[in-house]
This record gives sequence, C-alpha cells and structure tokens, in this order.
Amino acid sequence: MQHLIFYSFASILLFTSMMVIIVRNPVRAALCLVLSFFTSAAIWLFLEAEFLAITLVLVYVGAVMVLFLFVVMMLDIAETPLQEGFTRYFHVGIFVAFVITIEMIAVLGASHFGLGILPSPIEHPEGYSNTKALGRLLYTIYVYPFEISAVILTVAIVAAITLTLRKKKRKTQDPADQIKVCREDRIRIVKMSVASPQKDNEEVES
Amino acid sequence: MIFQVINMSFALPEIFMMVMACIVLLVSAFMGKDSSSVSYWLSQFTLLITAFIIYLSISGTGGITFYGSYIKDPLSDILKLSICIINIFVLSYSWYYLKVRNLFNGEYYALATFATLGMLIMVSSTHFITLYLGLELLSLCLYAMVAMKRKSAMATEAAMKYFILGALASGMLLYGMSIIYGATGSLSLASISTAIQIGHLDNTVLSFGLVFLTIGIGFKFGAVPFHMWLPDVYHGAPTAVTLFISTAPKIAAFSMIMRLFVDGLENLHQYWQGMLIVLSVLSMIIGNVVAIAQTNLKRMLAYSTISHVGFLLLGVLSGTNEGYAASMFYVLIYALTTSGSFGMIILMGRNGFEADNISDYKGMNERNPWFAFMMLILMFSMAGIPPMAGFYTKLMVIKSLISVDLILLAIIAVLMSVVGAFYYLRMIKVMYFENPIEQIKLQAPIDIRILFSSNALLVLLIGIFPSSLMTICITIFS
Amino acid sequence: MIALSDYLILGALLFSLSIAGVFINRKNIIILLMCIELMLLAVNLNFIAFSYFANDMAGQVFVFFILTVAAAEAAIGLAILVVLFRNLNTISVAELNTLKG
Repeated sequence: MQHLIFYSFASILLFTSMMVIIVRNPVRAALCLVLSFFTSAAIWLFLEAEFLAITLVLVYVGAVMVLFLFVVMMLDIAETPLQEGFTRYFHVGIFVAFVITIEMIAVLGASHFGLGILPSPIEHPEGYSNTKALGRLLYTIYVYPFEISAVILTVAIVAAITLTLRKKKRKTQDPADQIKVCREDRIRIVKMSVASPQKDNEEVES
Repeated sequence: MIFQVINMSFALPEIFMMVMACIVLLVSAFMGKDSSSVSYWLSQFTLLITAFIIYLSISGTGGITFYGSYIKDPLSDILKLSICIINIFVLSYSWYYLKVRNLFNGEYYALATFATLGMLIMVSSTHFITLYLGLELLSLCLYAMVAMKRKSAMATEAAMKYFILGALASGMLLYGMSIIYGATGSLSLASISTAIQIGHLDNTVLSFGLVFLTIGIGFKFGAVPFHMWLPDVYHGAPTAVTLFISTAPKIAAFSMIMRLFVDGLENLHQYWQGMLIVLSVLSMIIGNVVAIAQTNLKRMLAYSTISHVGFLLLGVLSGTNEGYAASMFYVLIYALTTSGSFGMIILMGRNGFEADNISDYKGMNERNPWFAFMMLILMFSMAGIPPMAGFYTKLMVIKSLISVDLILLAIIAVLMSVVGAFYYLRMIKVMYFENPIEQIKLQAPIDIRILFSSNALLVLLIGIFPSSLMTICITIFS
Repeated sequence: MIALSDYLILGALLFSLSIAGVFINRKNIIILLMCIELMLLAVNLNFIAFSYFANDMAGQVFVFFILTVAAAEAAIGLAILVVLFRNLNTISVAELNTLKG
C-alpha cells in the first residue's frame, strides 16, 4: 500500500516537473509547478517532516507561486512573440542530462543507500511533535543562522522595492522649487570634442 | 540537550555591522533623495569601526561558539580585516562614481553594507548552514546592486544572467552538501572532518558529493568552464558595482574554499586535487588567451580575473600549509590591485562617459603622467613583474607547487603568466607610446586622487617589502 | 518500507530535470526561475530523506533555511525580471544578447 502511494506520488511529481520545463505557456508551467510542490509536500509527509510539508504548501503554493503568477500576468507576455521550440543544444542537452541521471542513479541506488544498508528508523513515540522538535532546535542551536535568515529577508525586501518602485510623476507645480531655481540648474556649458564616444546613455534616475 | 553559554563577544564585528546596516537602511529610507552622502559616510564609519573591533580582537583567544556555527580563528580575523579595509577603498571609489553620475540613493550603501556582512559571516562559518546563508546574503545583495541601474538594458541583462547562474551554482552547492550530509550524518564541518578521518565511509558517495561542491565553487569563483557569467557581469554592471564584485567577494570565496575543502574535507584531498587541477589549468589558459582579444578594459579585466582564479586555485590544490598561505597572499594582493585598476576606470570616466575601452587610455602619459605611472604599477603587479607585489604572490604559489612535485603544473603557470604579461604590457604601450585621442585634462577631486595613488603605492610598497604580509599568511597556517 | 535510495533517485531525477530545463530552455526566463525552484525542491527532498533515515533533525533545519532563502531569491529574481522586461520588452532568453557572453 505504502509503495503504491509513494510511487504514484513520485510519478505525478516527475510528470508535472517535466511539464514545467516543456510547456509553452508560462501560466500552465506555473500551475504544473504548484502541483509538483503539492505532491512533494505529500512525499515529505512520508518522511515525517510534517512541519516542512505544511510550510511548503503555505509558503510556496500560497505565496511564491502566486507571486510568479502575478508577474506572469503583469508582464503581459502573450503579446511578446515567444520563440518556437528549443535551442539547437536541445539534443545535446537531453543526452547530457540523461548520462548524468544514469550516473547519479548508480551512485545513489540500492547498493549504497538501500534498505539493507540503511534500515528505516524506529518510529517516534506517540505524542511526538515534529514542529516542537524543529522549533526547539531553531531557537537554541540554530539561533545564529536564524538571525542571518532574518537579515536575508530584509535584504530581499529592500532589493525588490529598490528595483521595482517607480515614483509617480507629479503633474502639479511646486512654487518652492520654482523659486529655488538658479542659473546653474538650467544651463550648463559643455566643452565637447567632436568624436567623443557616447556609450551607454546615462540617465538620471528619478 | 546541553545548554551552552553563547560567547557573543566573538561575533561583535558581525553584530555591530548588522545594527549599523539597519541604521543605514533607515536613514536612506527616511531621508529620501538626499540620503546618499549621509549613508555613504555612515557605511564608511561602520567599516572603519568594524575593522577596528576586529583589529582589537586579533590577539584575543579564538574558538567556536553559537553551538558550532561560528568560528573565530586567525584566518577569519585577517580575512575579515582585509575585507573591511578593501571595502573602504571600494566604497570611496563608488561614491565618486555615483556622485558624478547622480545615480542611486542611500540604498546602494545599505546593500553594500549588508553584502559586507554576508562576507564576514562566510569567513567565520564552520557549518554548512551558516556558510550557505552568508553566501546567499552576499549574492542577493550583489544581484540587486548589478540591477540597480534600472534604465540600462545592459545592466539589467547582466543582473539576470548573474542571477540565473548564481542560483544554479547555489543549487549545485546545496546538492553537494546534501550528499556529504547523507554520507557523514553531520552538517558541521568539524564533525564531518572527524567522521571522514575515522573512516568506514563510502568514498564513492563522498566524492560524488564533492563533484557538486566543486561545480558550485567553480561557478562562484568564475573558474573555467563555469565562467560564462563573469565577463558579461563585469561588462554590463555599472563600474562601481563591478569594482565591488571583483574585490572583496573574492576574498570571501577564498575563505569558502578553505572552510569547505580544507577544514571539512581535507582527508579527501586526493579527490578534490584532480578536479581543481582541471579547473585551474583551464582557467589560466582560457582566461589569458581570451583576454588578449578584448578591446574593452572591463572585459579584459574580467578575463584576467579568470586567469587569476586559476592561479589562486593552484595554491589551494597543492594541499600544503605553504600552498594555502600562498593562495591567501595571492587573493589579498589581487583584491588590492583590482580595486586600483577599476578605480582607474572610475577616475578616467565622467558623467555620460565610461572610460572602459582600452583606446580611451591612449597617451595617458601625456595627459597625466602621475596617473599613468600609478596604472603602470598596477598593471606590472597584475602581470607579476618585480618589484611589484604581484610578482611575490605568483612566486609563492609556484614555489608551493614545486614543493609537492607538481612540476608540470608549475611550468604551465609560468608559461601562462608570460602570455598574461602580454596584454598588461599592451595596456602600458597604449598609455605611453600612442597619441592621445582627446586632450582633456583629468579632473578628479583631490581626495579621490590621493586615494587612488595610495592604493597603487600600497601595491608597490608591499612589493618592495613583501615579508610582513607574507609572514602573517604563513603563520596563520602553521 | 520505502528505501532511502528510492527517495534519493527521485531527488536525482528531479534535479537533472531542472538542470536540463535550465539549459534547453530558450523561450522565457520565468520558466528558468521555475526550474531553479524545482532544483531547490530536489535538494530539499534529499535533505529530508537523509534526515529521516539518519534520525537527525539537522537536515530538516537546513531545509527550513533553504525554503526561506529560496523565497527571498524568488522575490529578487522576479524583481530583476520585471526591470528587464521594462527595458527590453521581452523576456525571451534568446534575446539576452546585448552582451556577447
């Protein structure tokens, strides 16, 4: 029974991830990715990582994938011409990926990590809480990484806002600004040689 | 669970820098458009004080704290100190560049401070989790800094390439870490090292994990064949950001390879040595040969970076304390010299004009002999011509190779530095023996001139008296 | 019972799928970003499987941090993508050719 469930989830996971990389429409790809996150959350439940499985659904399906979908919709890519097909490296790419996969399976297969070598662990006693165990570690032993991840999230916010925030151009007049103007703000005398190379136009950021 | 008392005083530099980075951020958020000079001075103050704190703690005792995720040892002290000092130079150049062009607000300095924090975290990490988080903190700041010039198609394209390949590299690194974790059952580098020493582990699995770790490190360093992003990012990013990326993060990357391969996996030396040999030989050859064909100075310096990375890896792969010391000396001098070279590009440029073509330097000597001379020092140092500092770094690396009987590798290194000398000397030929296109005098303010001159003279000074810095590097590893 | 090797092979397949996705895809950068998410998913699966079979929570803690960082990374990646789209009006990988790389 357990095998049946595991293999069906595993095949759904692989199928949807395959779809992510081959479908043309980014919205479909995003939805496929949602499904693969969902199935891997189910697989994580097998491994008794309940808290992480729930986090995966909440954070990824709930937030990150919605962000992806937002961006896809916002960019309005349907109007931009999408190139048909794949690169000329397609066949080489597939071949290399195939070889790598075979090698990975050889190393990670039953001879190194089979049940005979690593039996499945003893079950936890009743009343064991995965969340509690994780939380206890997080706020004691891993408190330093925890603080760093707070900094990382701050940086992500700052970076995302700096990159995308556009100030609305004001249409109204500001008398204070008008009075402050002096001659140097309006005209600038520039000496230019004739063949001055003009590269990468520098625009003043607003 | 044993409850340990956390020794916070070890992490004082990081804590101080984090608090100050938040203050810089708040200042730039509340002051809006006028914040750049205040945030600049605040971040310089932060770097200075952090450097001072680290300097004071050098003589103190080292040790591991935060339950084995933070280490303070001589290596971390010296590397952190040099990261702070190099960044003081780098930020001063950037400030001039950004002020002239009226680019970016205070957020740039906030991100730069956060990136420096990421480097400090990487340098004193002794645990996979801390190492990864420090690396990501640094990389996320760098991606954003490259893209900050939002109107420029070139900069954003460079940022996108940097982001995709950087994320790919992190994925590789993580996969390698997961395999090593599976094989040894631990994430802490110290216990990984003991687990491998005790033995009974599956060497196939370990070396499999090692391959992914090496690919990840290769990407982050920009070693061939994982160098595709480097020239594009160097070329596309605003010069101030290129300067930032090309200096202190290399020191942090050096510490990453030292922590992972030497602290954690030194017993697998025979496995990673072979992989690093391939990376470094390819980097030296491709880097030096392709650099000859470049007409853009930033791209040329990018390829020269690739070749220097090859050299740097040579010292590490020798697997001896002598080799590690040589690599450390190499990376410190490299960062100092590169900061000067990009500083020159910034100095030559003005608003609306980047002096990033080699032809822009024609007849530098006539336009300003002093700067031409400073540039000559830097180029000689990069090429490894005595008595500049670059000569001793190369010498030390090659000596460490010979001491472990990697003679063929040493010969390739010498040959490639001769090839490399060609394009540095071409630069000097352009500056001294060709006629200038334009006769405009260089018009940089006095403080930035002093800064640049002291940067270049420092390279010369270390070249004349290399022994003090060399001794520091050697004592760390003995 | 399901062996550790089954989980690892599943992770390996997922990982190589995502690598293949990064290299063969020329249509659109959003899909590249999704491939990166997929790659981190494979890594997470590895960590959780090892952590379960070694009866050691450290792997799960690492996954927790990877999830955090991946969310931050996605935010920055999408921000860069938006900026890029405003400049070039395209997000096709093949048109990222201003810089000869």
